[in-house]
Amino acid sequence: MTISETRSISRQMTSQPDYLDLRRQDLNSTYRPQREWIEGRGILIVIAHFFAGIGAGAWIFSILFDYRVGEIMAVVSIGLSGLAHLAFLGRWQRFLRILARPNSSWVSRGMWGTLLYGIGALVYFLPGVRDTLMGSISLGISLFGVTLVLLCSGYVYSVSKAIPFWHTVLVPILYIAYGLRGGVALLLVAAVFGGSSLDIDTMETIKLWVLASTIVLILFYLIIANRSGGAASYSVHELVAGRISVAFYGGTIGIGILVPLALAIGREFGLAGMLTLGIIGFASLIGDFYVKYCVVKAGTYVPLGDAVGPVSPKIV
Amino acid sequence: MRLGMVIDLKRCIGCYGCQIACKAENGTRPGTTYARVLKREFGTYPNVKKQSLPLLCMHCGDAPCIEVCPTGASQKRSDGIVFIDADMCVGCRACMMACPYAARYFQDEERNYFGVGMAPTAYEVSRYQDHQSGVVEKCDFCRHRLDQDKEPACVANCMCKARIFGNLDDPESEVSRLIKEESGFQLNAEWGTDPSVYYLPAER
Repeated sequence: MTISETRSISRQMTSQPDYLDLRRQDLNSTYRPQREWIEGRGILIVIAHFFAGIGAGAWIFSILFDYRVGEIMAVVSIGLSGLAHLAFLGRWQRFLRILARPNSSWVSRGMWGTLLYGIGALVYFLPGVRDTLMGSISLGISLFGVTLVLLCSGYVYSVSKAIPFWHTVLVPILYIAYGLRGGVALLLVAAVFGGSSLDIDTMETIKLWVLASTIVLILFYLIIANRSGGAASYSVHELVAGRISVAFYGGTIGIGILVPLALAIGREFGLAGMLTLGIIGFASLIGDFYVKYCVVKAGTYVPLGDAVGPVSPKIV
Repeated sequence: MRLGMVIDLKRCIGCYGCQIACKAENGTRPGTTYARVLKREFGTYPNVKKQSLPLLCMHCGDAPCIEVCPTGASQKRSDGIVFIDADMCVGCRACMMACPYAARYFQDEERNYFGVGMAPTAYEVSRYQDHQSGVVEKCDFCRHRLDQDKEPACVANCMCKARIFGNLDDPESEVSRLIKEESGFQLNAEWGTDPSVYYLPAER
């Protein structure tokens, strides 16, 4: 019996051969991609952080512009984020334990943020509370909560020493910028499909500024990561010319930046209408999802083994 | 007291004995190898060299996994052993993102070694009952053996005596002596995690 035949039989006998082969290959490779927070149920983390970001951004701008439809959409988004988080956990029944370590864990802080936001928003929505002192206090609590949520979704990645592409303060900044951008985009979509008392022109101006800032941030982030060398540089390579390039160019750059930019310029030259605004908002939301997908997917662990000899690219 | 290990790369022949001994001792599921051996080739023919690098949890003095754990499931004993309280773990996997040594494993479903769609063997049922699914697992220096004054399984079963276990805080211990006299080093010390596992160089 040949070795390949033996391996084939072995694969048939194991219950999850692909998964095990992949894990074995990862553990032996020089640049090991992180898979736990992106593949299988791991995609729920990206979905959770997407909804958390746009929900937080939408809440802030809804409060700023006193836009009720937006407030409801923000609550729904953060609720969906919470559900996605729960569905991701291996032991979701124990989720309250996550509140235990806010002193050191950003995951714990994020949970506190969601909880505070939920309590604040709930009280704020009670009839007759909005214009009272209680309303102001609950609004303050909810805003503190969403700020924490916005911060945490980036910091849970940037504290990972093992993944250099994430281990930079630029990741939380990028997540905050995209959260705010996503929030505005959600309000634009809400304004188109939900009827509007929203100041569209102001929102569009804010949207353009945030769009411009995200372009600069992405460029800055990629240049810095590429110059860091090692695993961070490898991650950039995976994004711009590797296994994630389709999602990066198609989702993040194409739909997320170029489409909104082109339509926004088109509006300046007469391409008016609420539908155009809705498309700008919708494309921005897709871009918001894809930037998070790409950043998480590109995460690569620091290579082991450099200390004992030259690292060969060959997998033994 | 700070328990630690020294692994002599000159002595290690890459036989995977530690990996098998660990699996037998801890009864881990497929895909989980608390102790594993990484192998690398470098050079070009005829000057080619193969190097084995045994890996396990480094039981870091400044463990990033403990810092990021939201529930307190990742803990450190007074003797420096980093372990996971499975009953407290929620399976968020933040510790896996923080660990640079790939020492943590998550079981998202109950896999077994034998039979597609078949029930696990009686042996597997017996061994897996101590392992919860949906939580993260890792090496704990075989603390159940240490409590019985035995060495970790990977140390006891290393046929080349490449692994030495002892108290790093005791300057008279074998591990301290080897680190001092044989230029012991921590794997990727520049990451600042202060591992309790030291390696002796393959060449001097």
